[in-house]
Amino acid sequence: MGTVHNEIDNWLAANLYGELSEEEQRQLHTHLVDCAACRKTHQETKTMNKILEETLAQQKPDPTFEQRMLASFRQRIPERSGPIKLLADLMRLRAAQVTAVAAVLLGLVQLGRMITGETATAPGARDRYANEQLLEQPAQMAGSEPARTGALDKSDELAAGKPKDLALAAPQSSSESRSKLQRDFKAFPATVAPAEAAQAEMAAKETGSEPQAMSYAAEQSAAETPAPEVANRKLIRNATVELEIVNFDDAVQKITALAKEERGYVATTDSQKQANGKLRGEVVVKVLPENLDRFLQKVRGFGELKNQTLGTEDVTKAYFDTDARLKNARVMEQRLIDMLKTKTGKVSDLLQVEKELGRVREEIEKMQGELKYWDSQVQFATVTISLAEKDMEEPAAFLLKERAQLALYAPDVEKIYNDIKALASAKVQITNAQLNRDYSGRVSAQMSMLIAPEESEAVIARTKGFGRVENFQTQTERIAQGGEGMSENARTKRDKVQLNITISREEQEQALQQTSLRIRTSSVDEKPKELRALAEKQGGRVRSSSFSRDPDGREFANVSLRVPMKNYPALIQSLNSLGKVENVSVQRQDRTGTQVDEANAPADISIQVYSQGNIVSHESGLLATLRRTLAQSAGAIMWSLRMIGVAVAFLGPWVIALIALIWITRRVIRARQSRS
Amino acid sequence: MDASEREQYQAAIHGDREAFEMIIRTHSRALFAIAYGILQNREEAEDVVQDSLVRAWKTRWRVRDPEKFPAWLAAIARYRAHDVLRRRRTIPLPPETIEISETEAIDPTTLDLQLHSALAALPELHRAALTLRYFEEMDYRTIENTLGLTNGALRGILGRALASMRKQLRPVLASTD
Repeated sequence: MGTVHNEIDNWLAANLYGELSEEEQRQLHTHLVDCAACRKTHQETKTMNKILEETLAQQKPDPTFEQRMLASFRQRIPERSGPIKLLADLMRLRAAQVTAVAAVLLGLVQLGRMITGETATAPGARDRYANEQLLEQPAQMAGSEPARTGALDKSDELAAGKPKDLALAAPQSSSESRSKLQRDFKAFPATVAPAEAAQAEMAAKETGSEPQAMSYAAEQSAAETPAPEVANRKLIRNATVELEIVNFDDAVQKITALAKEERGYVATTDSQKQANGKLRGEVVVKVLPENLDRFLQKVRGFGELKNQTLGTEDVTKAYFDTDARLKNARVMEQRLIDMLKTKTGKVSDLLQVEKELGRVREEIEKMQGELKYWDSQVQFATVTISLAEKDMEEPAAFLLKERAQLALYAPDVEKIYNDIKALASAKVQITNAQLNRDYSGRVSAQMSMLIAPEESEAVIARTKGFGRVENFQTQTERIAQGGEGMSENARTKRDKVQLNITISREEQEQALQQTSLRIRTSSVDEKPKELRALAEKQGGRVRSSSFSRDPDGREFANVSLRVPMKNYPALIQSLNSLGKVENVSVQRQDRTGTQVDEANAPADISIQVYSQGNIVSHESGLLATLRRTLAQSAGAIMWSLRMIGVAVAFLGPWVIALIALIWITRRVIRARQSRS
Repeated sequence: MDASEREQYQAAIHGDREAFEMIIRTHSRALFAIAYGILQNREEAEDVVQDSLVRAWKTRWRVRDPEKFPAWLAAIARYRAHDVLRRRRTIPLPPETIEISETEAIDPTTLDLQLHSALAALPELHRAALTLRYFEEMDYRTIENTLGLTNGALRGILGRALASMRKQLRPVLASTD
């Protein structure tokens, strides 16, 4: 009951607000019956509750309270509408959020690439820039140099015209034209580029429109010849044709026949024979001008047309001028002749007249010659036909060049070097000989020689016999002369053979096979000598040997031998006589692709001869064991301490950083909570 | 808390306006009770409720657990009411409210005034609990949830609040009996 009395306020309040269970209510009532003080309190509480209820009832919000709250909320937070609301709704989805973040990241990456100036971004802007540049530059060129003449002006126009074409083409074709533009654009700073491009364009146009131009020329001439006013015009027509034909003589015959047919004649023929037996030449044909076009058409059929020009020169004015002057001169001549006939006046005067007459006659003859020349030129058109047989570029002959590389191993380099030098003769010329000896006594030699082709096989075979061939390579090259490509009937000639020889000492040669083994025996001392004897019997040598004894009384002798491969099995067999052979390991190095004389190739054997010795350590007994154990444990403890130190040094900063991070995060969270 | 309520809170947190307006309809009276309990002034309490709702809408994304939404709403209202109260404290109270002589006759207005001053003497939390009880007639568990109290704490709070008021109002009570 004590609890109820002590907490009577709580109990009364709970009773008032209907929070007591039946059991509790019963308890409270029992207490109230017993305790007068609590009864009084109960009474007061009930009264106060009534007052409170009455008073606070007045303060309760009116029925329209919720509506007011809603209205004010709506007024202060107006509902968003249209796309913004849609966007806001969309952004509530997790997928949309992820997408948005990805898009922002991508955007940043793209921005970074644009800033750092990497390519393949914002192609539109760049293309426009390139186009503007292309359009501007040639325009400036054309504007700044108006004083240029014909062809140059034309090239400028073309240069100006080309980028315009490109600019027009650019929007239509996407990637291809863009790359072309960019290429052009890159070349721009060099300023020569536009001119080059223009030339290329011009060339392309010319080749492309060649048939058109020719037909145009043909039309022109066809229109001129039959016209009546043209009849007394003096026109010199000439043409050049370049043809590639199969057979020169055939072509000349055909042309001659054709010229006759067209009432013309062959004026000159000349031909040259090339080194590869092909003919090249020129035929000049005169034909009547009115037949020129037909003639050209026919000539074109004889072979492949490479080039053709057609020209007309109008000499009418000069011709008639000369003709008028000739008439004047004739009148003058007549008058002078008349003067001589009358024979009046002084002799000196007569002489003067005679002299004048000579000059006039000379002039007349000159003019007559000129007129006659023109007449002949006008009467006949000149056609110059250049003929070249097909495959003009075929080579006339081939040269076979042989090069050989020989690497030799020899026991005595110097002797071989001198032997090879002694081979020198008129047909074997040594171009380079070099003997190298370094401070450690290693000797090597390098030689180069040129050998006449017929001697080469014999000399190379002899050289090979001087030592062990490590490597031999030959290389044959066929060089075309006077042309390129292949030819069926060109002669082939052998050139001098170049031979390069490298001689090294055998010692430096790497062994083909390396063997290592151990021999256990009771007495080590004698074995190296026995080994040496065995090796020499098999034609080998001892390369190195060593002897050692360790504190435990074990003895080792290391011997390294080298024998030819052919004697290797016999030597291994004989080793069994020395003791127990153990731990045999064999390593073979096959050098593929080279010709190796395997029987004579060196094989290395390294042998360790050892005795068992007394295995038990002289430091034995209880005390020594104890000491060793203690020392080892101390070492182990020190090692673990060191490792712990390392771990602390590694992990410490991370742990501190982690703790700091957690602390800051918690502070931030707490601050945010307290704010809301 | 049943599933549909929970869903409603979740939707409101995610920005569903209709759900939030529904919450305004159902919860604004409780918020008013809290604010009034602290401020003892209807106009100010209404302003506080309005401010709290706007603020709650703007910072709704901070609520992780939809279960806690009502408590969070109540906490906002409490802090705002507290802010208003603190600002008001600097303005001196009108002199006539301070002292009431014991000898004066007890008319309803003096009773009212005395009750209010007794209420004003209580801690803010106690006042809020009392008003929630008297305005909304909530049971102990709901009040505890709304005010973010631990289970069973309210029993002591209300007991102490009533005891304190009783002591203050003893003369008045004695006369009315």
